[in-house]
Amino acid sequence: MELTLNEKRLLVALEATGSVDAAVLAEKMDARREAVVQYANLAGERGLVDVDKHVSRRYVPTEEGRAYMEKGLPERQVLESFEETIPMRDLQRHPLAKIAIGWMRKKGWIAIRDGVVEKTGRTAPGPDEAAFARLSESGAIEDGVGVGDLVKRGLAIEEETVAYTVSITPRGRELLSGGLDLREEVETLTREQILSGEWKDLPLRRYDVTKLPRRAYPGKTHPYQRIIDEMRRTLFDMGFEEMAGGIVQSSFWNFDALFQPQDHPAREMQDTFFLGERWPLPAGYERVRDMHEHGGETSSTGWGGTWSAAKAEQCVLRTHTTSLSIQHLASHPTPPVKAFCIGRVYRREAVDPTHLAEFEQLEGIVMDEGVNFRHLLGFLKEFYAKMGFEKVRFRPGYFPYTEPSVEPEVYVDGLGWVELGGAGIFREEVTAPFGIEHKVLAWGLGISRVAMLRLGLRDLRQLYRSDVEWVRETPTYGGRR
Amino acid sequence: MAIITLPYRYLERLAGTDRQTIIDRVPMIGADIERIEEDHVDVEFFPDRPDLYSPEGVARAMRGFLGIEEGLPAYTVRPSGITFSVDPGLAGIRPYLGSAVIRNVNLDEEAIESLMALQEALHWAVGRGRGKVAIGVHDLDAITPPFRYIASPRSRSFVPLDFEREMTMEEMLADHPKGRDYAHLVEKFDRFPLIVDADDRVLSFPPIINGELTRVTSATKNILLDCTGTDQKAVMTAVNIICTALAEAGATIESVTVKGEEMPTLAPAERVVSVAECSSLLGLSLTGEEISRLLRRMRFGAEPDGDSRVRVLVPCYRSDILHDWDVFEDVAIAYGIENFDAVLPETSTVAQEHPIPAIAGAVRSVMIGLGYLEMMPFTLSNERVLYANMQREPAPGTLRVLHPISEEQTVVRTDLLPLLMEMLQANKHRELPQRLFAVGDVVEDCVTSQQAAAVSIHPAADFSEAYAAADVLCRELSLSYTVTESADPAFLDGRRGDIVVDGRIVGVFGEIHPAVLGAFDLEHPVAALALDLTAVPGYPALPGTP
Repeated sequence: MELTLNEKRLLVALEATGSVDAAVLAEKMDARREAVVQYANLAGERGLVDVDKHVSRRYVPTEEGRAYMEKGLPERQVLESFEETIPMRDLQRHPLAKIAIGWMRKKGWIAIRDGVVEKTGRTAPGPDEAAFARLSESGAIEDGVGVGDLVKRGLAIEEETVAYTVSITPRGRELLSGGLDLREEVETLTREQILSGEWKDLPLRRYDVTKLPRRAYPGKTHPYQRIIDEMRRTLFDMGFEEMAGGIVQSSFWNFDALFQPQDHPAREMQDTFFLGERWPLPAGYERVRDMHEHGGETSSTGWGGTWSAAKAEQCVLRTHTTSLSIQHLASHPTPPVKAFCIGRVYRREAVDPTHLAEFEQLEGIVMDEGVNFRHLLGFLKEFYAKMGFEKVRFRPGYFPYTEPSVEPEVYVDGLGWVELGGAGIFREEVTAPFGIEHKVLAWGLGISRVAMLRLGLRDLRQLYRSDVEWVRETPTYGGRR
Repeated sequence: MAIITLPYRYLERLAGTDRQTIIDRVPMIGADIERIEEDHVDVEFFPDRPDLYSPEGVARAMRGFLGIEEGLPAYTVRPSGITFSVDPGLAGIRPYLGSAVIRNVNLDEEAIESLMALQEALHWAVGRGRGKVAIGVHDLDAITPPFRYIASPRSRSFVPLDFEREMTMEEMLADHPKGRDYAHLVEKFDRFPLIVDADDRVLSFPPIINGELTRVTSATKNILLDCTGTDQKAVMTAVNIICTALAEAGATIESVTVKGEEMPTLAPAERVVSVAECSSLLGLSLTGEEISRLLRRMRFGAEPDGDSRVRVLVPCYRSDILHDWDVFEDVAIAYGIENFDAVLPETSTVAQEHPIPAIAGAVRSVMIGLGYLEMMPFTLSNERVLYANMQREPAPGTLRVLHPISEEQTVVRTDLLPLLMEMLQANKHRELPQRLFAVGDVVEDCVTSQQAAAVSIHPAADFSEAYAAADVLCRELSLSYTVTESADPAFLDGRRGDIVVDGRIVGVFGEIHPAVLGAFDLEHPVAALALDLTAVPGYPALPGTP
């Protein structure tokens, strides 16, 4: 049994008397009584001492009570200040009259007739006065008749005293007789103690491992950023180059270059954040215009109608990172290109637990000689598997800038098949105007949805307006669900 | 997206198969099952396939996909002898008209509802909210040909649908529910589009409302269809989809002479596609014969044209076929997406991290080392948080969105620090100290750049803590910097410093001004810093910014 030094000192202090009040022990051990009780409780748990707690009550006068101690209760003092009768007006001049007159009437000592106060003759002291007399003599009393009245009048208060008697047990005695090492315990080893080798002989304070430590909070990456970084790592592992770009895009790059017709509903102001700014169109924009109007040099008919340059110049907050992909391809038309981007995109949506006006999108593109639809499915399977979604299936999909298009679905335990992103091969109407001669596989997904699944969130806003407690308590590793 | 109600009994009769087969297989032609009910199923189809917005259209596609009836559906069109003139005065208003006569329709209540639903879905998907195309169906037996599509004075009156009294067209825009909904499409014109018969009786005020005169009921046997709009191609798409759907239901179609031209023809468009191009897109080695067989299941007419080509007849209702690849996607769907073997290409490529996320990653590791917790605040904010609360003047290049959806999100953030202050406010009830940082995009003058910012709140937070953190961050990012006294009103005078690199102020740090603390409802001192990451050596210019 490893005792603390204080427990040992307690046993030594008990050696002579065997059983003693904690206050006495405290004096003996030169410690506070509370500390001694704490040591005694520890030793008590080990069966070395018994601790008896006695609770006692006594009554002591309050400040007001003390003021009356010499001369008696106010009503007695006032009663004795006059003979048989006195006009009320005169009596009221007595400094204690305010308190006393009420009590005198209540106790039936006086009667008041026509403004004159008259003694009734029944003025013997009651039990309260007797108790007050005892209290005045001794300064504190245990209990008794009349004390309750004094407490009610605020002249005395009850005091609870707790006393502890500590007694050594036979086991304690046994231990004591075996001899105890009473050297001071060491908490933190000093440099000198380590260097000199003194540590070998020191009694080291033992710590209680069942007690929880102080809770520390490390600085850390946001749980959502960790998922983003994991996706980036996956794409690096698959040989992809990272893209980055501006939040503000012209409609030309956000829509027109992607063969999204100018009257497409996504291009209306209720779906997209438009800005007052305009950007000039890039050189060669006419090829995009021709594609919209009649399909350019390809087998396409185009959308028909007249394409408006003014509409294409309007700036928007990018609605997808595909606007970056097409610009990357336009400036890197030589195969192979494997690139990805994770960035914030914007939709004009009212914010609620499952809809946000901004969220992260991941997008990957592969342009190479001879790539085809089966390769697209191959990349998707590989990517989703690395993200922890082993079961993936595909359904036909529709996106204005890809053909063929598919909608990947992943199997999530408890939810079943969940649609997660979209994919396809860029239409020739998208690639031809920029001289991109090979097929481009493309896929994208909203990663806030993945984060919701992985972090078990009900409210998407938690990702962006986070509760500090949630970030602190979400583990850095092993959060995958 | 359009959600189409498919009643089982009707669909089973048209498709020639049972409901379970349809429910199981319809997703594989590109649809989402929304709800399965006792007597019907609600299905969502993609916006590029308005031909599937009716039970008749779905049955037609499913018969092919399930191998019950393959190849091009044949529709015969006889001339009705009816003519329809178009007033040249409509040129700048609503110039295009498509029309057809549909005879021997058998309209019970369910069929009328289905026709109205198809009309509404087409208004949305093809008509872009009736602006591009608006559709009207009329009881032909209530009126007398020839018909005229004219630009009428706005004061012309007639009894509109669902009303009992005559109103002027101007009154309709103000008082009729449909008038109020669609007034924006015509109110700017001096004259309004109007369709009248030989006796000058009104059929319709497109794109607003039909006349009560030609209301279609279960007693209607013959229909006159009008589609008006601003785009000829879209107008004919609507005509073709409605005519072929009703023909599938058993009606006969007759053509109308519009401006001397017989319409509709319901004739397919021909496209000769390459076998090799199809195979290389899909990664399959298909013969012309195989491609043809697959396309016939998707209701195309298709025959090999030599070894290397396939002659494809595209049904008139397939408005989504713009390009040969659109045909090839149908080959893939008929082949079955689930039957494709997924493979990875063999080309080897080397991964490359972009320098901007790399710099952000470096900021993260430094701030985490200092015990800071990462936050990822919204990029959309407002001027109260960004400027007023911070006692700062609005940045001159602040981007305001034109039609904000709430007062909270009206501008793109130009600075991260105010958003971290807001985050402290939201977390006021959480244990202190709180040390938070963020790294991310800020936008000024349309140019996106990156910033890092950090805040520390606790009873002993002070200038020295902010200075130490700013110093570590700069040193770890290899920034050689100097510090001068700052004039930033968000910070306390005498307890604020500007970070200067090559003579440019690129950051600020210090103790947040107590008035700013008050504005964010905070009760303890905050030590803070912000750093423009474009100052970091190796920071690249962003592509796509002018």
